[in-house]
Amino acid sequence: MQARIAESDRAARVREGVQRKPRRFGDGWRAALFLLPTLVFALVFVYAPAAMSLVLGFYHYHFMGVGTTFAGLSDFRSALTYPIFWLALEHTLIYALYMVPLTLAGAVAIAVLIDGKSRLYSTIRTLVLLPYITPVIATSIGWLWMFNPQYGILNTVLHWLHLPPSQWLLSSTMAMPSVVLYSLWHGLGFNVVIVLSTLSGIPRPVWEAAAVDGATGCQRFFRVTLPLISPTLFFLAVVTTIGSLQAFSQIYALSGGTGGPEYATTTLLLLIYQTAFQYFHFSYAAAMAMLLVLLILILTFIQNWLSKRWVFYQ
Amino acid sequence: MSSSAKVHRESRWPRSRVGRRLGITSRAGLALVVGLLFLFPLYVAWVTSLDTAAHVFTVPPHLVPDFDFNAYRRVWHMARWLMYLGNSAFITTATLAIALSSSVLSAYAFSFLRFKGSNAVFMGILVVLMIPAEALLIPNYVILQVFHLLNTYWAQILPYGASVFGVFLLRQSFLSLPNSYWEAAKLDGASHLRFLWSVALPLAKPALFTIGLYIFIGCWNAFQWPLIVTTSHSVQPIEVAVSRLMMAHSVDWRRLSAAGIMTTFPLVIAFFILQRHIVRGISRGEGLQE
Repeated sequence: MQARIAESDRAARVREGVQRKPRRFGDGWRAALFLLPTLVFALVFVYAPAAMSLVLGFYHYHFMGVGTTFAGLSDFRSALTYPIFWLALEHTLIYALYMVPLTLAGAVAIAVLIDGKSRLYSTIRTLVLLPYITPVIATSIGWLWMFNPQYGILNTVLHWLHLPPSQWLLSSTMAMPSVVLYSLWHGLGFNVVIVLSTLSGIPRPVWEAAAVDGATGCQRFFRVTLPLISPTLFFLAVVTTIGSLQAFSQIYALSGGTGGPEYATTTLLLLIYQTAFQYFHFSYAAAMAMLLVLLILILTFIQNWLSKRWVFYQ
Repeated sequence: MSSSAKVHRESRWPRSRVGRRLGITSRAGLALVVGLLFLFPLYVAWVTSLDTAAHVFTVPPHLVPDFDFNAYRRVWHMARWLMYLGNSAFITTATLAIALSSSVLSAYAFSFLRFKGSNAVFMGILVVLMIPAEALLIPNYVILQVFHLLNTYWAQILPYGASVFGVFLLRQSFLSLPNSYWEAAKLDGASHLRFLWSVALPLAKPALFTIGLYIFIGCWNAFQWPLIVTTSHSVQPIEVAVSRLMMAHSVDWRRLSAAGIMTTFPLVIAFFILQRHIVRGISRGEGLQE
């Protein structure tokens, strides 16, 4: 009894305390303290550099900080008249054009194939995901060896299939597809897992209803499954596009840091890296980075426009 | 033949019991081949690292391990692997600690504290997701140079101190807790930090694991940023050390493979132990799509 009185007494006091607080300000100061770390990091390493990136391309910034002079559009002009820049732009787009459709198609195919509760399928899911967590530089060593034109396993397989051997990374036409092959091996598992989790979220009655209506396996896939997972596919298309524009480690490792042979694997990001951090032309590289960002904005815009046409939102 | 009859016939696939068994077996077989294809490149590197010298340059490639550990012994003395491993571990742990705490605190503010402009600040943080990382590469280098942080551990940690993905996912997780939990804790005299630590965080464990997983993978496997901001070996992570070995000894496949396996192996072991959680954690990362 006494305890209950004490309890209610305390509750009343707390309520009173709450009422005495000026409600208008709420938890303002406390919230500011809680948000401080995130905001400071974001300010120093995201907002400020983002603002800087808008102007960096217009200035000649000297590496040792000797002085900064206004350069106007000269760096943009020299980037746009530099043939390697256009080549790198082309390679960036080609890489993304390989990666996005192959990733989506591959992920859906594998996910549909191993969609099931059995032990075998969950083991295979683990194997498919395994490369995703491995470090790119370390695992590209094994691939470099497999790509070896003389002793690599890939040419041996081509030989078994009675196909002509390839120079893989040493040929200017096959180097980019070889990098794509590595990237698919490394990243497909992530996409498979995401598609599988969406598939498991589709209620069974939906499929059963389609089957009762006499839909074939093929029809069920194209008319029911695909529309239902299209929001996820759109998400993966966006993530894969962003990821392929950021691809760096695998290109660096598989081309020996050169972007070769004959610039065949030089993407914009690699060119920006080489220009800024090997030749120390900062403003020139910053101008190219701005052009790359422009490209990303355009691609995002196109994807959003396309999504309105084919993504089915429930 | 009328079209309805055709549809009806096809819908009964697979027709016989034998046909169904055959279908299941061939699907399982195909799935197994796909799974092994993903494992194969790691297997090739493993076999090469254990080959005797005579078995490296052979046609067709030699695919049975010889268990000759000489390559490992020699590659071990070529670099200070333990130091690089320690660097990777320190950078990853520090990033995890900083990014997780900063996002937990912010997410808590957005879900349990009432303040003016809460939505505006949240939107301001989400804007970060729209800024392409490529735009930040050069300016961030300049900023680190201004702070004299180039060539330090901090250069590899601080730029990842805020995790917008983390704030977003944790906020969602916190918002699923009823506000009455906090009211009850307040009546018992708990402070916000106490409530966060003892009630909110334990209930947000799945979200914490997912965020930690993504930060870990990104950080442990980071290559481009460490390559740019560090030149002295004493602060470099293991990926940069392996890449240097690759550039210097591009034809010694046994030793290169040994280095590759050595750096991949711990991750593979951890992956197989935690695989169930990792698969679930990665699926949850999809939460960002809305």
